[in-house]
Amino acid sequence: MTPPKARRAAGTRVPLVDGIEKVTGRALFTADLAAGDALVGRILRSAASHGVITRLDISRALALPGVEAVITGEDCRHPYGVLPIAMNEFPLARGKVRYRGEPIAAVAARDAATAEKALALIAVEIEPLPAYYTAEAARDAGAVLLHEGKPGNIEREVHHAFGDPAAGFAAADLVCEERFHCAEVNHAQMEPHAALAEYDDARGQLTLHTVSQVPYYTHLHLARCLEMDASRIRVVKPFVGGGFGSRTEALNFELIAALLARAARGRVRMALSREETFITHRGRPETDIRLKLGLRKDGRITACACEVVMRGGAYAGYGIVTILYAGALLHGIYDIPAVSYDGYRVYANLPPCGAMRGHGTVDVRHAFECLLDRMARRLSLDPFAVRRVNLLQAPTRTPNDLLVNSYGLEECLAKVEAASGWRQRKGRLPPGRGLGLACSHYVSGAAKPVHWTGEPHAVVALRLDFDGAVTALTGAPEIGQGSSTMVAIAVAEVLGIDIGRIRVVAGDSAITPKDNGAYSSRITFMVGNAAIDAARRLRDVLIQAAAGKLEARPEDVACEGEVFSVRGGAQSSLAFAEVAKAAIAIDGPITVKGTFTTPPEAQGGRHKGGAVGSTMGFSYAAQVVEASVDSDTGEIRVEKVWAAHDCGFAINPLAVEGQVQGSVWMGMGQALSEETRYVEGLPVHASLLEYRVPTIAESPDIEVAIVESNDPLGPFGAKEAGEGALSGFPPALVNAVADAIGIDLDELPLTPDRVLEALVERRRRARLAETRRAS
Amino acid sequence: MSEPMPDFVLLRPGSLDEAVADLERHAGSRFIAGGTDLIANLRRGLVESEVLVDITGVPELSRLQLGPDGLVIGAAVTLARLAAHVEIGRRYPAVAQAAEAVAGPGHRTAATVGGNLCLDTRCLYYNQSHWWRQANSFCLKYKGDTCHVAPQGARCRAAFAGDLAPALIVHGAEVEIAGPGGRRRIALEELYRNDGAAHLTLEPGELLVAVHLPAADVLSAYAKVRVRGSIDFPLAGVAMGLAPDGGGHARLRVAITGTDSGPILLSCLDEPWAVPPDSASLARLDKLVQKQVSPMRTTTASSHYRRLAAAALARRLFSQLAARSEE
Repeated sequence: MTPPKARRAAGTRVPLVDGIEKVTGRALFTADLAAGDALVGRILRSAASHGVITRLDISRALALPGVEAVITGEDCRHPYGVLPIAMNEFPLARGKVRYRGEPIAAVAARDAATAEKALALIAVEIEPLPAYYTAEAARDAGAVLLHEGKPGNIEREVHHAFGDPAAGFAAADLVCEERFHCAEVNHAQMEPHAALAEYDDARGQLTLHTVSQVPYYTHLHLARCLEMDASRIRVVKPFVGGGFGSRTEALNFELIAALLARAARGRVRMALSREETFITHRGRPETDIRLKLGLRKDGRITACACEVVMRGGAYAGYGIVTILYAGALLHGIYDIPAVSYDGYRVYANLPPCGAMRGHGTVDVRHAFECLLDRMARRLSLDPFAVRRVNLLQAPTRTPNDLLVNSYGLEECLAKVEAASGWRQRKGRLPPGRGLGLACSHYVSGAAKPVHWTGEPHAVVALRLDFDGAVTALTGAPEIGQGSSTMVAIAVAEVLGIDIGRIRVVAGDSAITPKDNGAYSSRITFMVGNAAIDAARRLRDVLIQAAAGKLEARPEDVACEGEVFSVRGGAQSSLAFAEVAKAAIAIDGPITVKGTFTTPPEAQGGRHKGGAVGSTMGFSYAAQVVEASVDSDTGEIRVEKVWAAHDCGFAINPLAVEGQVQGSVWMGMGQALSEETRYVEGLPVHASLLEYRVPTIAESPDIEVAIVESNDPLGPFGAKEAGEGALSGFPPALVNAVADAIGIDLDELPLTPDRVLEALVERRRRARLAETRRAS
Repeated sequence: MSEPMPDFVLLRPGSLDEAVADLERHAGSRFIAGGTDLIANLRRGLVESEVLVDITGVPELSRLQLGPDGLVIGAAVTLARLAAHVEIGRRYPAVAQAAEAVAGPGHRTAATVGGNLCLDTRCLYYNQSHWWRQANSFCLKYKGDTCHVAPQGARCRAAFAGDLAPALIVHGAEVEIAGPGGRRRIALEELYRNDGAAHLTLEPGELLVAVHLPAADVLSAYAKVRVRGSIDFPLAGVAMGLAPDGGGHARLRVAITGTDSGPILLSCLDEPWAVPPDSASLARLDKLVQKQVSPMRTTTASSHYRRLAAAALARRLFSQLAARSEE
């Protein structure tokens, strides 16, 4: 037998292992699952922004033929929320409603038309309370509180100071302070929310198929809200069409579907419309930033002071983490000796915000990279130069005690500077066209999970049976980001086997080990390390068996290209299948388990909130954006983007490039055109026509360069690749626009009306100045 | 809230007479061709119609005839077909450019000329789900009694956003209409009135049959402003026809969409304009546009922006066409 050609799995371009189903249309997403006789679940939503429910009568709906269940807030008395310290949301409103679109009641009926009729038969009366749609209005002294015990409608204030900011500003040659405003944005993931719930009344068991990024958290919340033993619940994640943070917490529709299924003693399918998916929200909050930086003449940053106000929506969700992230990640990218941070997360009568790609960092990074560029201009420093003098030296710890273990930012800068032709082209482009630079970073997994249990952060199990196939079992939710492919590559690499021998089974609580989920870019780092650990354990078992057959010492046996051989002896070798058979003969089919636990030194400082922002390794990115501005219409065209990303090591360069392009592109959406808009709390943006995700017509060529800084703790040296490049785009664009038309814009997104308004304002001022001079 | 598609009966007449008769026979029925506007509105409860009369099987409506005397475009000709016609693109550039600028490629393969001309007006307060509009007490255009855009006003301010109409208007288009009372022909601009809730002058039961264009006698172009380069409706769209007299002057015809409840044919353009235009005449055109359009807050982009953008497009088209007239 000729052994297959030896080839490394890690570091080669591997198409996603579940890609074929997707491109052929065979993949079954939640709404595609054969629902058979499932009832249709529909939600009645509040028409009022804020008020007390004074009457809720479901009797006429219940009496409608074809209606199997109608539920209200009475059916679940437990609040839920992703942070154990901030659970203040109910699947169906109890007593009060706090935003337009909040679920009040739900029906399960034999078909959609009957369900709609039933919704119309539910009588609701709401005694209105004053409603607040801006953080400013909600913080007003006389404002009615959305939640008891939260004065000023402030969910959480953060006041952190590290180093000596006052001394830092005193030592600066230039101190500037500016304000930035970033609109609220939404993930607009391809797949609308959907769930299929089945309640087995005879056994008292619940099965939920759902679009979750965090099936484990959903599982916990189902047990809590339905008062069920977790052992009687099974949560399955089918193919998922994107998440970007929209599904990193249990969501009301999932809990409602389960409650309905139990009430109806059957199966309920719930497919939310695009509008409802938008109303479920959990996106990036509207954010106001006041940023002050101190720079020495050579560009060295001496101090940073930042105030952030986030309009968080009606419920807590991830809010506390978001406002902490915004401050914590002022650190970890540049060498800044002194940083003060004041953050305010504010409740308002709008859909709750949550985690979104680049969680907490994007708007603050935007402000920082814009202001740094403007100050460099005043100091006559090149944008690259001002960043280069502020680089960190890894390994190091930041003033807020974050671990920086590997640091490829310098190389990222060099790559995009060369690729974009910056030195030759900057300042020499035709009028209306400009180049802009920005840097960014992100965590590779939060070192402390929100549910701290002390158990390992990630577990992967591997099975090897008579067929010689290796099955990897992981709870890590594959949501299109490529996590299952990453697991397959890691296992193939360690075992020295072909990737086709591996099957990855992901996201079924009845089969796969618990996993915290797809958020904070944790999977490659944590699950990747757990997969490597599991594969090493399986390799040990196989090498023992091979050594026995080859009559060699285990330490002399290696496996490469599916062939086990004794070091130095080409004659004595065994094929993988033979070794697998030999190993199984000893003790039956093999199951091993690998784990990963974050080291204590990565878990952040001891100050309050110090765990947020802590990670084993930061990714780094630099990008140059070339843009042109139409000075008549205010339209911006992004001509080209050069992005370099330090992902430690590219386990799958194909996937890394895709993720970096996706990040850049999503940042482009936030920078150019995406924003939510409400009219008295009603979302006018709740369709893909009004919520303006860029189309292919706006999408520029994005040239990606991969930088590999080899993180000492990362799997094969890898770090995250799916988020870090996002937050660089908006400031790089704003900097490019400043280069193109000489106007610094402080508000995102840069829609044509905002750009034209700035141009018109400049012309008006020029005319005024002209008139003054003439007189 | 998930807006299931309501049930309806679909009739497929094979002739124009049948189509008109079908519509007359079924109260509340509607014509449908590409359906790119109607189906979305049906789903959202903006249209209630139990019978739809599909006119795409009527041969007469799909004719596209280009001759020395002009151009006839059947109402059911798809935008994709119109945009791809090389000779039309050469003789009536504004028309081809406008067809090409509608929505996305997928839409254009289904969407028709008649549908684009009869496109329902649009407004932030109108193009929303039933739940949304109910929560907002509906609006003057449909089921309500207040225009949320201009609460003091007596009429609906929803904006017409069809791209084709201004382009056809600058080429002097007429539309042929069939109905229970027979056929009639009117200038295209007379198809519209400036009322967002009743912006078409079609009588009940009437149907657009074709657009008739005279032989092309102007240089023309169409440009639109939108947030994204695809899919979006125009925030402002401007078509211009320019007829040079060979003596350093030209006649201008300008029509604008996206800003008002119907397309606006710019007035006060009667005098010949010097070509190439100097900055004063560009400023004059700019002012004329700004004065005659009246965008309201029917889109997320500000109405002021739409006014400025319309004027900017007019200036730009004038310069471009003037330059071309001298080639």
